[in-house]
Amino acid sequence: MTAQLQRRQTPPGGRVAERGQSSGYRVAKRVLGYTVLIFFAAMFIAPFALALANSLKSRPEALASPLSLFPAEPTGRAYREMAGTDLPRWTMNSVVVTVMVTLGRLFLDSLAGYALARLRFPGRALIFALVVAVLAVPPIVLAIPRYLVLGQLGMLDTYAGLILPLAVDAFGIFLMKTFFESIPREMEEAARIDGATIFQTYWRIILPLAAPGLLALTILSFQASWNEFLHPLIAAPSDPDLRTLPVGLALLRGAQGESQDFPLLLGASVLITIPVAIIFFTFQRYFIQGVTASAVKG
Amino acid sequence: MRALRQRAATDERVAGWIFVIPVLVGIGTFLIVPIGMALWISFTDWNGLSPPEQAEFVGLDNYRELVTAEGDPRRDFAMAVRNNLYYVLGVVPAQTAIAFILAVIVNQKFLRGKGFFRTAYYFPSITSSIAISLVFLFLFQRSGAINQLISGLLPGAEFRMNWLDNADGVLHNAVGLVGVDTPPAILTDTSVLGLSLWQWLSGPSVTLFAIMILATWTTTGTMMLIFLAGLQNIPPDVEEASRVDGASALQRFRLVTIPMMKQPLFFVLTIGLIGTWQVFDQIFVISAGGPQKTTLTPAYLIYREGFQNFSMGRATAVAFLLFALIIVFTLVQRRILKPERA
Amino acid sequence: MRTRPRRLAQLLVLLTGTALAVAACGSDFADSDSGGGADDDDQNDAGQTDGAAQAEDDESSGDDGSSLTLMGFSSGPAEDEALNAIIDAYNEQSTNTARFNPVPEYDTALQAALAGGSPPDVIYVDSNRLPDLVEAGALAPADGRVRNEDDFYPSLREAFTYDGTFWCPPKDFSTLALVYNVDMFDDAGLEPPTDWEELATAAEALTDGDRTGLALVPEYPRWGSFMFQAGGAVTDDEVTEMTIDSDANREAFEFLRDLYAQGYAATPTELDAGWAGEAFGQGRAAMTIEGNWIVGALNNDFPDVNWAVTELPAGPAGPGTFAFTVCYAVPAASENPDAAWNLVDYLVSDEALLQFTEQFPVMPGRESLAGAWTEAHPDLGAFLTGAEYARPFQFVPGFAGVVDTLDDGIQGIAAGNREIDEVIQQVDESGRAALGG
Repeated sequence: MTAQLQRRQTPPGGRVAERGQSSGYRVAKRVLGYTVLIFFAAMFIAPFALALANSLKSRPEALASPLSLFPAEPTGRAYREMAGTDLPRWTMNSVVVTVMVTLGRLFLDSLAGYALARLRFPGRALIFALVVAVLAVPPIVLAIPRYLVLGQLGMLDTYAGLILPLAVDAFGIFLMKTFFESIPREMEEAARIDGATIFQTYWRIILPLAAPGLLALTILSFQASWNEFLHPLIAAPSDPDLRTLPVGLALLRGAQGESQDFPLLLGASVLITIPVAIIFFTFQRYFIQGVTASAVKG
Repeated sequence: MRALRQRAATDERVAGWIFVIPVLVGIGTFLIVPIGMALWISFTDWNGLSPPEQAEFVGLDNYRELVTAEGDPRRDFAMAVRNNLYYVLGVVPAQTAIAFILAVIVNQKFLRGKGFFRTAYYFPSITSSIAISLVFLFLFQRSGAINQLISGLLPGAEFRMNWLDNADGVLHNAVGLVGVDTPPAILTDTSVLGLSLWQWLSGPSVTLFAIMILATWTTTGTMMLIFLAGLQNIPPDVEEASRVDGASALQRFRLVTIPMMKQPLFFVLTIGLIGTWQVFDQIFVISAGGPQKTTLTPAYLIYREGFQNFSMGRATAVAFLLFALIIVFTLVQRRILKPERA
Repeated sequence: MRTRPRRLAQLLVLLTGTALAVAACGSDFADSDSGGGADDDDQNDAGQTDGAAQAEDDESSGDDGSSLTLMGFSSGPAEDEALNAIIDAYNEQSTNTARFNPVPEYDTALQAALAGGSPPDVIYVDSNRLPDLVEAGALAPADGRVRNEDDFYPSLREAFTYDGTFWCPPKDFSTLALVYNVDMFDDAGLEPPTDWEELATAAEALTDGDRTGLALVPEYPRWGSFMFQAGGAVTDDEVTEMTIDSDANREAFEFLRDLYAQGYAATPTELDAGWAGEAFGQGRAAMTIEGNWIVGALNNDFPDVNWAVTELPAGPAGPGTFAFTVCYAVPAASENPDAAWNLVDYLVSDEALLQFTEQFPVMPGRESLAGAWTEAHPDLGAFLTGAEYARPFQFVPGFAGVVDTLDDGIQGIAAGNREIDEVIQQVDESGRAALGG
C-alpha cells in the first residue's frame, strides 16, 4: 500500500478523484458548490454593503428604502458631520493604543509562550494552568477591580493606563504556546548543541519559524484592541482627549438623543471597520497558516 | 555530556523564569489581583461607589440570594441562565455546522476564488461589536431591510415582524401556530428556581433570536477558518490512500475527514462555548436585557447589578457562578468529545 | 519565502523592544501627550495647597486659577452647545478654567471615577441615583455653598435632599406633558383631552390605519404618572412601605392595558420608531407623552409637524406627572471643593440658568425665573404648569431591582401576556424584600 502510494503521486491539481465521473455530475457539483458559497458570501457581505449605501442617503431615504444599494440622492452629509466631531483625535488615540498593545502582546506573549512550550523550569505547569483559568473569567467582572488597580498605580487618564492592561493577554500566550509546540524540536536542539544561548535560539531559530503565529497574533490583537470598548471607557473617565474610536462611536450614538441618525452611525461604523479590514487583507495569508497550527494542536 | 546537560537544565530554569516574569507581573497586576479583589467583593455588600474597604463582609449571602433564597435576584439569575442556555444551544451548533460546511466546500480543489470567499466569510468577525450591533439595529427595524426583504420574498403578504422589542418565545409562537395557546397547567404550576416550567420551555424570545442570528453571523467566519486550517492539514497521502482503496466521496468524508477534524472541532466548540456564555456587547447595544428580561444574560446581569443597581457584591457573585457554569460545560463537552491525544 | 518571514518576525520583535523602551521611559510620552492625566493632578495638588492657604482668608471664593472638569452626559449637540456657552461665560469672568466632558455610558464612567477615589470636580447626579450616592458617602453637601437656595422649587429641593441634607442644586428639570398633533386634532374636530375619558375617546378617534392614537413607552417613568393620576404610587412618600397593591394602581393599569389591547395606544417599536417622539414626528401617532427634550427633537427632525403641548389629562384622583431632574454635585473626594462649588454656584445663577434654558428648552429650577422662561417659550407653558404637582422619580438605595421588576411587568401588561394582579403581587413581594419589611 505504501509502495502503491509512492508510485501514484497526486498529479497537480489533484484531479484523480474526478476521473471516471460523468461530466454532468462534475458540472452539477460545481454549480451546487458555487451556489452555496455565493449565497453565504452575499449574506456575510450584504450588511456592510447596506451600511455603506445607507450612510450616503439622507435620513428619510434611509428609513424609507433601507434595502436599495444605490442612494437616489447621494449625500455626504453624514461624513461631513463626522468631520465636525473629534473623530481625528479618537482615531489617533485608537492607532496609538492599538499599535502599542499589539507590539506589547507580540513580545510578551511570544516570550512567555516559548518558555511555557519548551523550557523546563519549576512552576511551569502551574503558570500555564493559571493562564488557562484566567481565560474563563468574564471580562466585565474585571472592570471595576482593574480600575481600582489603575487608580492605585496612578495610571488613570493616561496612555499607559489604556495600553498596559490590554497588553497582557492570556489568549495570546495560549496561542503562542500551542504554536511553538507545533514546531519540531530537532531544529532548536541542533542550535543548542552548537552552543547558542537560549535567547539566541529563541531569537534566531524559533521566532522566524513562528512568523505565521506572530502574524496571527498581530491580527487578532489588532482587531481586539481596536474594537475594545469597555476598557478605554473606564480607564480614561475624565479626559475627553483620550477617547478611542469605539467610545467616540458610542458617544455619537448618545449624542443624537434617542432619534437615531442612522446614516451617521452607519458611516462611522464603516469608517471604524476599514483599518482592521486593511490589516486583515494584508496579513490574511499568514494568518490562515497561523490558525492552522493552533487549531490542529487544539 | 552530563555536565553539559546539567548546565542546559540550569539555563532553562533561569531563562524560563526570565521569559515569563514580565507576563507574570502583568497578569498578576491586571488579571490576578483584580480577580482576587472581585472574589473578595463577592463575599461583601460593596455598592461599587464607596471605598471598597468600607464594604461589609456578608459571607455567602450573595450566592445564597442567587441560588437558594426566593426573590428577585434568584428569578433574574434563573432567567439569565435560561436565556443564555437557549443562546448557547442555538448559536454554537449553528455556527459550528455552517462553518464546517463552508470550510469543506471552500476546501474543494475544483473551486476557484478561495481567497475571496475566505475573506468574505471572515469579514464580520473583524468588525467592532459596537459598530456591527448598530448596523443590525438598522437592519432589524420594523420597517427595516430584513422585513422588507422577507416581504419581497413572500409576495402578497407584508411581513412586519417586530424583531427588536418582542418578548414572545419562538417555541411558544410555534405551538401557537398549531392552535395551542394556553400551556398545560402542569407547566405553568411547577416552578424551578422561581421560573415556571413553561417559562423555561417557551424558547428564546424573538428579540433574543435576532441577536442569535447576529452572533452566528459574526463568529461563523472565525470558526470556518479554523476548520479550513484543519482540513488543509490532512496529509494528502491519507486522502489519496482512501481514494485508491476505492472509497466513495461520502465514505471518504466519513472515514477520513471527520476523524481528522476531531481536534479542530473540539477547539471550535470550546471557544464557542466560552464566547457564547459571555455574550455582552450585542445585548448591551441592542436590547439592554429587555423586553421583559428575555435577553438578560448572566454577563449583562453582572453589568446591570454592578453598574446600574449598585450591587457590586451580587454582580461579582453572578460572575463566579457564571465562571463555574462555563467550567462545567467545558468539562462535559470535553467528556463527550475527548480528542485522541496525538 | 524563507527569508521574508524571518526578517519580518525579527522586525516585529525589534519594533516591540523599541516600543517597550518607549513605554518604559514612557510615562513621559503618555503624560505629555495626554494633556490631562498626571499634569492635571500636579496642578490640582498645587491648587489644593493654594486653595487651603487661600481658604483661610477667603473661604467661599474658590476663584483660584484651578482647572475644573464637569463630567456629564449629553442629550445632543443642542444641549452641549448651550452648556458650553455658559461655561465659556464662566471662564471669562473667573480665573478658573472649566471644561465640559460628556461621556457615553455615564453611569459606568461615574461609578468607576467615584470608586477609584479621584473623581472629576463636578458631576451630574440624577435624582433617581442620589440616594445611592449619598449612602455611599460619595457626595459633598451643598449646604450654604450655593447662593439663594430657597429659590429652587420645593419639590426639586426635596429631590436633592436626603437624610435631611441638601446635596446639590438642580441643573434644570423637565416634566411629562401630552404632546399632540394639532392638524390631526383639527381634522377630527377634537379638543386636546383633559381627563382619562377624553384621552381614551381621542385616542380611539385618531387611530386610523397606519396611525395610532397614542405612542407611549411601557415603562414606569411614563406609566407612573397614570398611577399618580389615579391616586396610587409604588410606595408611600417616605419610601418605607409598599403601596403598589391598591385599587388606584389597578385602575391605572387596566386603563392603559385596554388602550394597548384595543390598538389605541402602541409602543414606539410597534410604530417603526426608535422612540415615541420619532413615532409622533413621523405622523404614526397623534399624541405622545414625553418631556421637554421632545421639543428640540421635533424642531430639528420634523420641522413641518404642527404640534402643541398640553398638561397630562387628569385621572380619577386629579392631575399627576413626573419631574425628571439632574443636579450639579461635587464629589466628597474632590481635590479642590472650593473651586468646584464656585463653578456650580455660577452654573445655577440666574443669568446662567436663563441663558441656558433660553437656548435649550428645559426649565430652570429657580421659581423666580418661571416668568422669564415662559416669556422665552410661550408655547411650552404646560411643561411648567406640571411642575406644581410633579413628583420626582426617586426611591431608596437597593430599590432599583424592584423598578426593573415593575418595568418587566408593565411591558407584559402592555403586550397582553401578563395579568395585572400577578404583576402587582410580584412587585409587592420584591419591594417588601428590598425595603426589609
